[in-house]
Amino acid sequence: MASKKVDSTGDSTSSKVEDEKPIKVDKWDGSAVKNALDDAVKKVFTEKYKYVENHWLMDGRLIICTVAVGAAMFALLWDYLHPFPESRPILIFCVLSYFVLMGVLTLYTTFLEKGIFLIALMKDPAGVDPDNTWTASSSLKRFDDTYHLVLEFTDAKTKSTRDVKLSKSISCWFDENGTLLFDLFEPEVCKLHNSLLAEKKNK
Amino acid sequence: MLDFLEDIKRMNKRQLMYQALNFGMIVSSALMIWKGLMVVTGSESPIVVVLSGSMEPAFHRGDLLFLTNHKEDPIRVGDIVVFKVEGRDIPIVHRVLKLHEKEDGSVKILTKGDNNSVDDRGLYAPGQLWLNKKDIVGRARGFVPYVGIVTILMNDYPKLKYAVLGCLGLFVLVHRE
Repeated sequence: MASKKVDSTGDSTSSKVEDEKPIKVDKWDGSAVKNALDDAVKKVFTEKYKYVENHWLMDGRLIICTVAVGAAMFALLWDYLHPFPESRPILIFCVLSYFVLMGVLTLYTTFLEKGIFLIALMKDPAGVDPDNTWTASSSLKRFDDTYHLVLEFTDAKTKSTRDVKLSKSISCWFDENGTLLFDLFEPEVCKLHNSLLAEKKNK
Repeated sequence: MLDFLEDIKRMNKRQLMYQALNFGMIVSSALMIWKGLMVVTGSESPIVVVLSGSMEPAFHRGDLLFLTNHKEDPIRVGDIVVFKVEGRDIPIVHRVLKLHEKEDGSVKILTKGDNNSVDDRGLYAPGQLWLNKKDIVGRARGFVPYVGIVTILMNDYPKLKYAVLGCLGLFVLVHRE
């Protein structure tokens, strides 16, 4: 699993951010807007704070989907080689397992993922203590303009979790053409991030 | 118009794989529903489209037929069956006219279209006078009118089929949920 390459010098990082074209989406397409904002949050966490992204949640979903598609392709191949009705038992097995996997996938997405799009690990600089985990989840209801972002911080030592919420209209960060104004969005994300860190110090 | 290329460039490996899997899952769902219907009805082609007007006024060209082919349900005279003549792929929808049955269950079937003036011996393979059970794809159980015209159009104009499927496929591959 390749982790994101991290630039140690500040100069090359900032020039990379300038080189990237600002994200432009169709402002009326809710899912495109949400994806653009989620990508921006990911960018803040991985590039600015240099956290390492943990992909296990997404990987689980990919594995379930791959097995399901594999079952379907196997059924197709088997039926092609041994025409119906000899293939009947295999077909029954594949069809049932496909729909069971679809059910599993739905449960996985509803209960395990719950809108989480980012899990990042904050490595301890001393390298001694276990990593703290940042979890970001978001939601944007259909035809609604309020973007809800929830940042969660799990302290590995105390195993306690704190979260902070942000609910704002997407019009604050997108201009008329649908271009995401990263410079307006980034400080808000950083503010949330720092508030969670500050709470930790206060405890 | 080329915005979708921008979207793809912005996706990382996992998201690209998920987009491909999404497409695969839609194809697989359709495939599994079709195979599931095959298993439930016992017929190798549970849904067929009426291609000619030989069964009017019961069925017209473009009607969609639902078939079953259970061994426990013997075919009787008067049933509407769909059969394929050996060597030809086209399913034909006609009514059973005569039936010879032996004790071991083997049958000989003669069919005729309601709107035809002669029986189907002219349609069978040269030298064949009767249909066997294995030629029968299934018995018609229900139908939906007109819907099958889409299939007839897609087969008559294959370019239309590829264009529609191509656009749908592209849309699914690129659009992020």
